[in-house]
Amino acid sequence: MRRRTFLRGLLGGAAVSVALPPLEALLNTHGTAWADGGELPTRFGVWFWGNGVRREHWIPDGEGMGWRPRAEMQPLESVRGYVSPVTGLEIKTATHPHHSGMTGIMTGARYHQVGTTRDTIVTTFAHPSCDQIAAAHFEGQTPFRSLELAVCRFRGTDEGTTFQHLSHNGPNNVNPSEYSPAAAFRRLFGMGPTAPQIDLARRSVLDAVNGRIRALQAKVGARDRARLEQHFDSIRALELRLDTGSPQCATPPAPANDYPDVEGREQIAEKNRAMSDLMAVALACDLTRAFSIMFSTAGSGVIVWPAGARNSLHQICHDEAAPQPTVHAAITYTMEQLAYFLGRLRDTPEGDGNLLDRCSILCTTELSEGNVHSNDEFPILVAGKGGGRLKGGVHYRSRNRENASLAVLTALRGAGVPLPAWGHDAGRVNSSVGALEA
Amino acid sequence: MSRPSTRRLARWALAAMLLGGCADGALTTALDDPEGPVAPGAGGAPFDPTPPDPAARDAGARGPADDATAPPAADAGPPSPPGNDLPPFAPQAPTLHRLTLAQYRNSVRDLLGDVQVPADLEVDTPLHGFASVGASELTISPRAAEQYEAAALDLAAQALSADRRAAFTGCDAPDAACTDAFLADFARLAWRRPISPDEATLLSTLAADVGATLGDAWGGVQHAVAFVLQSPDFLFRVEVGEPDPDRPGGRRFTDHEMAARLAYLLWNTTPDADLLAAADRGELTTDAGLRAQAERLLADDRARDALRRYFAEYFNLDRLDALEKDRELFPQMSETLGASMKAEILALIDHIVFEADADFRDLLVTRDTFINDELAALYFLPPVGADAPTPVTLPADGPRAGLLTTAGVLALNAHNTVTSPTHRGKFIQNYLLCYDIPPPPPGVATSLDGVEVEGPVTTRQKLARHRSDPTCNACHRHMDPLGLALENFDAIGAWRTTESGLPIDASGELYGETFVGGLELAALLRNQDAIAECVARRLYRHANGRLEARSEQIAVRDLTEAFVEGGHRLQTLMVALVLSDGFRTTGEVER
Repeated sequence: MRRRTFLRGLLGGAAVSVALPPLEALLNTHGTAWADGGELPTRFGVWFWGNGVRREHWIPDGEGMGWRPRAEMQPLESVRGYVSPVTGLEIKTATHPHHSGMTGIMTGARYHQVGTTRDTIVTTFAHPSCDQIAAAHFEGQTPFRSLELAVCRFRGTDEGTTFQHLSHNGPNNVNPSEYSPAAAFRRLFGMGPTAPQIDLARRSVLDAVNGRIRALQAKVGARDRARLEQHFDSIRALELRLDTGSPQCATPPAPANDYPDVEGREQIAEKNRAMSDLMAVALACDLTRAFSIMFSTAGSGVIVWPAGARNSLHQICHDEAAPQPTVHAAITYTMEQLAYFLGRLRDTPEGDGNLLDRCSILCTTELSEGNVHSNDEFPILVAGKGGGRLKGGVHYRSRNRENASLAVLTALRGAGVPLPAWGHDAGRVNSSVGALEA
Repeated sequence: MSRPSTRRLARWALAAMLLGGCADGALTTALDDPEGPVAPGAGGAPFDPTPPDPAARDAGARGPADDATAPPAADAGPPSPPGNDLPPFAPQAPTLHRLTLAQYRNSVRDLLGDVQVPADLEVDTPLHGFASVGASELTISPRAAEQYEAAALDLAAQALSADRRAAFTGCDAPDAACTDAFLADFARLAWRRPISPDEATLLSTLAADVGATLGDAWGGVQHAVAFVLQSPDFLFRVEVGEPDPDRPGGRRFTDHEMAARLAYLLWNTTPDADLLAAADRGELTTDAGLRAQAERLLADDRARDALRRYFAEYFNLDRLDALEKDRELFPQMSETLGASMKAEILALIDHIVFEADADFRDLLVTRDTFINDELAALYFLPPVGADAPTPVTLPADGPRAGLLTTAGVLALNAHNTVTSPTHRGKFIQNYLLCYDIPPPPPGVATSLDGVEVEGPVTTRQKLARHRSDPTCNACHRHMDPLGLALENFDAIGAWRTTESGLPIDASGELYGETFVGGLELAALLRNQDAIAECVARRLYRHANGRLEARSEQIAVRDLTEAFVEGGHRLQTLMVALVLSDGFRTTGEVER
């Protein structure tokens, strides 16, 4: 609250790219905590892209602090002190190429199948995704329990929520990512402070809604009772928002537009900049501490035209002749977009450091290589220093195909989420990657 | 022409051995793989997933593995229909259906009049092809609850604005006597059922309390309206059922549940006053009452809008709104071309079903269609002088007739720069014949590189490996030979006679019958029995919002028979569906 209060009015009319330093007076003399002793926040994030990497261009040379990036990590050079590649891990719960990797990395578990037909497999997450585990930990401290943004346009499939969404509260209960920078802006900054009477009125309405949910639960079957329970939880999250108050952060300028295609070409870099900027402001204003950016979906059909692609990434992963130069260029381009986001956080001062110092971000995808749909040698980066919990800039290479969940638990603990273990069944781990930890 | 390398063949063989190809049924193992226990949602109660009842799965889907014993030859014969020894009909347990985005928008407009529906609403998550199926699975996420709340407050403020509230509520002043009666009636309409005295009291109390908080009685009414619109009674279609007097031990949907089922199936919106009145009179649990209402609804323009939405989902046509084609190769491509393609197909379906009330299979062969100027240009026809779809009869000696030769179907089932006979064939198998083809097995390299011929090659030549490699051919034999007959149409659906300077060979074959080009293919498909069953199956799936269980296969078969006997007319099928046990009865509520 104090953070948002102070930011109010600070930035009126300033460009989004202007950093949002906390007022020095609100910090202690070292700039490491609030003046009243409260800790500066740490955050957990996921940055996700679809269709994997080309491993010969991905796995860095050298280990520990002395690694050298290969071509696809080259764009991350500018933030390399914050980025720890974790290589050689694999998904231990793999039974299906895209779906298993997606749920394996995001939940540490297998997917849950919804019905059976032969043409597609339709699945959802069996468990909450890692960003929501973090959201549950940070709940009540910020106006938004979590924040989900997307960059590349969704090119739909009906293969279930696993393929359509990143953030899940549970089976078929998703937190859809916002694709429109304008809508994201409206949500974050569009609602000014409201009168206490209005909040009371809303509260009365939400109470009545909860009453109806409970009444219906008495009539319906077990499965629907569970679905209504999730509706109840969703209303509860809204009530918590009322408790924490509406965001009072200074409103940055609204995005110019939603970046429609120009001459049939998706404005990928422009949308990535707009969404990265919005996320950076949201984090600087402490609007949320759990977030995700879905750059592209699992199996995404994005046409990465700036990299020379003329067909969908998913298709060229399947069809392009070895050594797949266009696929490789598209992945390199994707890492440039990640580098922009991470750079944006690094360039936003906070306390005695910057936002990236106080984030722990799992950067990953749903499979290793798109042409063969492999789930070993899983591409994972852990970015940020988690408020001093993570070293940053370390390459950890597993010699014995360890569990990919290790990296996820490392990232979660790196954000200060005190988890004893992560994952389920073969995906479960109870230790993290010590080499990454400070 | 192509010689797959030994190394690649060996890799495929190994992959097939390890992971199972499509023909040996190993895929079933992956599909039926029971997943682990399902954990609570964050902070929520344990979530009971789809019951692991084998009878509720394997939804009558047929696929290559089913005829695994047949020789893997191209002329293996058509896939066999479900056997005649079907289990007796047993309905599934009732469920909550969340309103789809279109249903929400239509419903609030019908309830509130001319309002601006807020844009920030959650998009549908279609499952198994339909938003209606997703709506039976999904719950209301925190973000959706947030959007529904904002939308409800916004909509209520519009409807209760100073210049509209008197007309909307029928009250000149916010007297509780008048506004309470209005609220009870509004809730009855929005919740599609009678309101209990307790519920009426709740509405009245809420309006009074909030009115006092705000010091504004109209504000209280406004918030009570917002409550009605974000209550689960509105956001979900609630179905529980009641004992069925005609079937001891069995259950049926109640009259008011039937009113909502009819309205959302046939109109994609909330029941109107007439339909609710028919439910009040108990007419929607009778054959005559149900038939009369179904026919009344089908005669209204809202039925046409609903059917367009249904087929937009059925054939995946919404993807045409954001059609992507390479602009250098296809200068005809524009911001609007994809939408024009979609409009053609939907206008054609609307014409066959409602204006002509014709044999639905004509969709595959008719020369009638609806094009605008940019489609006319794509089809090398004279301009029609309109941006809107305009009726034309395609030239009798031309290469186009029916759905498969519409630019929309051709472009949608192609890549950005090149055609995909595989995708086009899969479209036919999946959507017209309901013959499901599984995805390539994991671990198989699917690239078609290494075609070892000098100079330019055609797509047909590139696909030769699909035929020569047994792992690929097991599935691809069901798709490629159909799609190859459409090779005279390029990736944007324009006519061509050469590819890479080589002449197009548009010959194809379906289970031993050979043909050349899209017209001969369509003529052959039109007479496949599987078409009628497929149309009936998909409609059944959509109407119930879930995959049909094994115990419902007999209902699909009966519907198919009614469809065929009715001359393959879709309106007849819809009435038959509405009158069938598959739409009117339900199972026990799961405890």
